[in-house]
Amino acid sequence: MTTIITEAPRQARVPRSRAARPRGGRRSAGFWTYAALVAVLLGSLFPVYWSLIVASHDNDAIARVPPVLTPGGHLFENIARVFDTTAFGKAMLNSFIVSGSVTVSVVLFSTLAGFAFAKLRFRGRTSLLVVAIATTTVPHQLGIIPLYILMAELGWTGRLEAVIVPGLVTAFGVFFMTQYLSSAVPDELLEAGRIDGCSTLRLFWHVVVPAARPAAAVLGLFTFMQAWNDFFWPLVVLTPENPTVQVALSSLASGYTTDYALVLTGTVLATVPVVAVFAALGRQIIGGIMSGAIKG
Amino acid sequence: MTLARSGPRRRWAYQLDVKGSPYFYIAPFFLLFGAVGMFPLLYTAYVSLTNWNLLEPTRHWVGLANYAELLTDDYFWNALFNTVSIWLLSTVPQLLAALFIAHMLNRSLRARTFFRMGVLLPNVTSIVAVTIIFAQLFGRDFGMVNWALDLVGLDPVDWQAGTLSSHIAISLIVIWRWTGYNALIYLAAMQTIPEHLYEAATLDGAGQFTQFRKITIPMLRPTIIFTAVVSTIGGFQIIAEPLLFQAGTGNPTGGSDRQFQTVGLYLYEQGFSLYKFGYASAIAWTLCLIIVVMALVNYSITRRIRRS
Amino acid sequence: MSAAKLRLLVGVLAVGVLTAGCGGSSGSSGDGRVTLTLNLFGNMGFKDLYAKYEAAHPNIKIVERTSAYNDHHRNLAAHLATGSGAADVEGIDTGFIAQFRAQPERFVDLRKHGADGLKDRWLPWKWQASVAKNGAQIGYGTDVGGLAMCYRRDLFEKAGLPTERDEVSKLWPDWASYFEAGRKYTANKPEGASFFDGGAQIFNAMIGQAETGYYDSSDHVVVATNPVVRSAYDEVLKAVADGESAKLVGSSPAWNTGFAKSQFATIACPAWMLAKIQDQAKAFAGKWDIAAIPGGGGNWGGSYLTVPAQSKHAKEAVDLITWLTAPEQQIEVFKAHGILPSTVATYEKPEVKNLKNAFFNDAPVGQVFTTAALNLKPQYQGPRAGDIQTAIRDAINRVEEGKQDGPQAWEQMLKDVERIEQ
Repeated sequence: MTTIITEAPRQARVPRSRAARPRGGRRSAGFWTYAALVAVLLGSLFPVYWSLIVASHDNDAIARVPPVLTPGGHLFENIARVFDTTAFGKAMLNSFIVSGSVTVSVVLFSTLAGFAFAKLRFRGRTSLLVVAIATTTVPHQLGIIPLYILMAELGWTGRLEAVIVPGLVTAFGVFFMTQYLSSAVPDELLEAGRIDGCSTLRLFWHVVVPAARPAAAVLGLFTFMQAWNDFFWPLVVLTPENPTVQVALSSLASGYTTDYALVLTGTVLATVPVVAVFAALGRQIIGGIMSGAIKG
Repeated sequence: MTLARSGPRRRWAYQLDVKGSPYFYIAPFFLLFGAVGMFPLLYTAYVSLTNWNLLEPTRHWVGLANYAELLTDDYFWNALFNTVSIWLLSTVPQLLAALFIAHMLNRSLRARTFFRMGVLLPNVTSIVAVTIIFAQLFGRDFGMVNWALDLVGLDPVDWQAGTLSSHIAISLIVIWRWTGYNALIYLAAMQTIPEHLYEAATLDGAGQFTQFRKITIPMLRPTIIFTAVVSTIGGFQIIAEPLLFQAGTGNPTGGSDRQFQTVGLYLYEQGFSLYKFGYASAIAWTLCLIIVVMALVNYSITRRIRRS
Repeated sequence: MSAAKLRLLVGVLAVGVLTAGCGGSSGSSGDGRVTLTLNLFGNMGFKDLYAKYEAAHPNIKIVERTSAYNDHHRNLAAHLATGSGAADVEGIDTGFIAQFRAQPERFVDLRKHGADGLKDRWLPWKWQASVAKNGAQIGYGTDVGGLAMCYRRDLFEKAGLPTERDEVSKLWPDWASYFEAGRKYTANKPEGASFFDGGAQIFNAMIGQAETGYYDSSDHVVVATNPVVRSAYDEVLKAVADGESAKLVGSSPAWNTGFAKSQFATIACPAWMLAKIQDQAKAFAGKWDIAAIPGGGGNWGGSYLTVPAQSKHAKEAVDLITWLTAPEQQIEVFKAHGILPSTVATYEKPEVKNLKNAFFNDAPVGQVFTTAALNLKPQYQGPRAGDIQTAIRDAINRVEEGKQDGPQAWEQMLKDVERIEQ
């Protein structure tokens, strides 16, 4: 089945009777849908836009009344200051290494385990799944001291392994994939594959992986962002010398004084690469949700 | 390759594959998790039975004393109330809005990638920036929110000072950050709903809303359960938003009268500000227990969706 | 996902883990030099000095790391407790020194490196505050926050108060007259500009002058019984009730905004506060000025440099902090950043004594702050002083926010303090 976008937006605004809707196509968006989505989008974008505004002014712009809403001329000066103040370039690279590794690993292992939990029968399935989910209920913050002791034993403190390895699997990912695959992969398809003599591994590659693509894309996106934005643990275990972006940001905000223009310039810089990755891969990642999923 | 061609050896391999391979698929998760996840967990359980203070070299076994103390601790109950309040104020509107947004995004849209990326943007922004911005928006004297209230003739609100007002402000931060995220989860699941169900319903004369209620919602059941459970877990562990809402002032007391101190924040105060690590560990495990109960309650409530 | 793509991804993962291995933090750099790391919070003004030290010591490389005030001290506590992760040199603020002083075994005892011979460098109380119970000296003092009162000339003029710093200082020999001046100011105050920033900050300055604060010298909390605490509390709340307070919480975003918005006309200012005012109130250069603090003397803030026992280069680290806190270097820091040294020998140097600050209408900052530092009566700091301070700040805020009256907030605060004491 393919998606059909036949109408021009102008036509889409014309209210039509239900009978006139093209058959076999996704329901088209009308004027109100667009209006509502634009409103949601503006709400989502505004604080981000506003941090860009403050980043392009000097420090006192943040408190003006009425609020400053247009860009100023200090952006490049502020960017230069960010790079002078912290090891921002290295922080970016580190964050990419950490987030990239964690994302690949989480998606792969979650899909594997999710497939087993959702579609395979084995002893202890339910209890193991419950154990996996239950682990997510433990407040993350408190694991920090024991985890730190562990990392110190391994000699990993101050090194990126200390941030990567604990993130390689998440119970969230397993739970997410289990729930998704339980409805996305029809049992009949797997039965048919079994009757044809497919091994479980072949079923995984040829049936589950294609079906999992949309969810894998979403999970990958989320994992990447969370790894990118993780703050508390990297702050404890890494040093400002070998930081991730969030650790670098915290040292920007470390003076006796708070220079909002500087901090928000840093956060804008920290957000740009993530947005760029999504803009570049977005069509593939999110497009994958569309094309990958719809296969009759 | 068919079953008919396989001999006994193959059949044995087949049996092994069916019975054994599931463990192979879940092994990476459990092995890695066992290494980096279980140890901190069990260690915390052990610590909760001691009086370990981070500043003192010695620690003693105290049994369940920390838990007993917790049950009579006013500040713990206050924190639990705040947590539940913020969780309700943030989760319910958030999931409803996400469902609605996903429904809109599921139509054939122009610039759909743009819209999808756009709703997710709040989730990309660093929590440091979010706090600075929202603290400024909700400022007492020069905040944009009070400025807007003034424009329509309403009195300004001291958002941080009040219990309800601070809960609303913190919930708005949560809603702003996580609605798009949940919308995309719903969207991914909506894509798996076979289109012919809608076509048949249309032919039967079912309207948009009926279709949404009778087809979309029931088909999303596993995903809705998932988001409800995950939001409950996340909502009960909330710590960064209330901590940073009190930005710059240092201590994690959640306002002058602890009016927005959540359990997570209380844990943080005991563990990392007062260094009472044993007590903080007991809070962590108690919170854990509460979350498990709440997640189960949520699970059983959302499971009923099928019947509606 | 195709198999080829998967292989690629696994490859990326492997590369990620491998390259991650490069970012170590071991003690020596590739060229055989010893790398000394300093963990500091905020700007301590040492950056320009490192090159000089490295030039004189070719085998040393210095790396400074800064993190936010609370993060820094929290991480230090965790790193000390777990026995790893601390830097070769760790900065500690006055608010935390008593807490860390209670665990001397985790720091290098500087007496083993000739500290006793250097004792006379510092103000005696500054030296004493980093001496542990067992006599170990765990840190060398850097700056002190000798107190003064910063005020806005233009706002004073509009409210009909004197504007020249000598006259202003005469206006408030003690706190009662300061609050009295506040009442006069408030009667004619310019729209939106209160007399002081927030009750808790003024309270902080008042307590900073008392000989006994929250602890007696045997580490007992005396908040409930020390009459100075209660009377300062009552005096501040009286002024709050008279409308003198802008009701801002120190260091909060709203407080920072308050400088740019002229929300208050006076602020108790330790030396390190000057940089903050200059940053946040750029538009008001020349309109700020500095008068004496009511009551005279007093301290708020200031720091120490310590060497954790876990440092692999303790000897080199001690040499470095000895050099950084020496009078010659401290003079440079004061000249460049206005951070007031605790090395008393510097106070007589003309470049310190005669220093003026143009932003503050050419106020003689050198003279004002050295006088304040010399006049102050040293106060014994107990281990949880910072947390007690927070509990009192919250109590004053509850009253400012209109949620409780003074006695109610006081009762609740005493309960909080009891919990902290446990």
